[in-house]
Amino acid sequence: MSWLEGKTARLVGESPDIAAALTAHGATFVDHGDCDVLVHIAAQPPIKPAHELSHAEWRAALDSGLDQRFLLARDYAAMRRAAGKGGAVVYVGAPEQALGSDHAAAAGALGNLTKTLGVEWARDGIRVNAILTCETGETLGNLVAYLVSDYAAYVTGAVMGVGLDD
Amino acid sequence: MAVPSHHLVADPPPFGSPPYPPDIFAGQTVLVSGGGSGMGLAMARAFAQGGASVAVMGRNLENAQAAAEGLTKLGVKAHGISCDVRLPDQVAAAFDEAERTLGPVSLLANNAGANFPVLAEDISVNAWNAVTRIAIDGTFLCSTEFARRRIALGQGGAIINNSAQYIWTGFPGDAHSAAAKTAQATMTRKMARDWAAYGIRVNVIAAGFFPHKSSTAGRREGGIEDLQAMIPAGRTGSIHEFGWLSAMTCTPLMVGLTGQVIVQDGGESLRRSLMMPDFIPPRERADGPWGWR
Repeated sequence: MSWLEGKTARLVGESPDIAAALTAHGATFVDHGDCDVLVHIAAQPPIKPAHELSHAEWRAALDSGLDQRFLLARDYAAMRRAAGKGGAVVYVGAPEQALGSDHAAAAGALGNLTKTLGVEWARDGIRVNAILTCETGETLGNLVAYLVSDYAAYVTGAVMGVGLDD
Repeated sequence: MAVPSHHLVADPPPFGSPPYPPDIFAGQTVLVSGGGSGMGLAMARAFAQGGASVAVMGRNLENAQAAAEGLTKLGVKAHGISCDVRLPDQVAAAFDEAERTLGPVSLLANNAGANFPVLAEDISVNAWNAVTRIAIDGTFLCSTEFARRRIALGQGGAIINNSAQYIWTGFPGDAHSAAAKTAQATMTRKMARDWAAYGIRVNVIAAGFFPHKSSTAGRREGGIEDLQAMIPAGRTGSIHEFGWLSAMTCTPLMVGLTGQVIVQDGGESLRRSLMMPDFIPPRERADGPWGWR
């Protein structure tokens, strides 16, 4: 099935499963500028107990897990508005409690940011969703492809997982 | 108020373009509770578009049979069955009948439900029992009947439940449904864990507003046009996109998906602001889109 035929996608971060699914569903990748959909995967910080995290490490995790994700989506949404077009953002990362407290903070913040941006940008036709999961594989790829496709036109502000431990 | 013309509203592809191939459920049978109308029928049609044989279960046999007849026009086998999902013997008998007619049931859609706006103090014991037990006991009884049969066969399967977007917030003016729909979501998560080892996946849609002719909003005078603007997405849901997501969770495309609550509500449950219109207690909003009068 080609859920994304004719759509351009920007994929930020590493996930062979998601890249394969977006390709299989007909998306064309772009690495900068305007695009139809944005998928953002955060790198996972190393797991450390909170009292062993330096402030610099803490800040780096929040920067990559939250701040950069927000700023990139905001730039994307501005480009979509300027183009007079809707779009879709999907954030992908680990579940809130899966790593350290730095990730717990970033992922919790990201989840509620997702719900907020989904409503703020709803009437721009831009949907925002998040998948917080430990899983990799085809289901994750297909779920991302579905969420950025028009088939998910009524799904926005949703935060979900994939497997039992998400 | 209409949605202003400069707002962008995202629409799904039309019913004739499902998100999966027509043979994705080939050789499988789905049982849909409350499948004779509304959201259950939308689920049934979506499974049929993937090639599943469909057992349509409903309280009313004529409605179930009429729905089954309609499904055969999509090119699949279908069979209507009368069943009260609150009664374990009837549930077992319905599965027997479905399997005699269509073959082993490998997919289950729990949709049977009842809902109507009513003040908590006005809910009769009968009404409370009906709304909560159709959803809570019905989902339990159908799911466990399904799981026992799949486990006995040594084969996996998939269950999709129909819950609601108000399961995290409560639903003032609809206490019975508020309780019932949350129970469906929480049992989904636990059953997914109980049956993961048997290859049975269980997921739930927290569905928003999908008006149809038997829904309270669908019956209102003037239709649903003026409801579109209430939703952040700028429209109420199209019932076929609900059917598709439900069926999609049961496909091999989502083979790793289990224990998930997926919200599909166009942002409906999220539109709060710190500054809101004055609060009106449900008792004092007898009229309006979800009034109890």
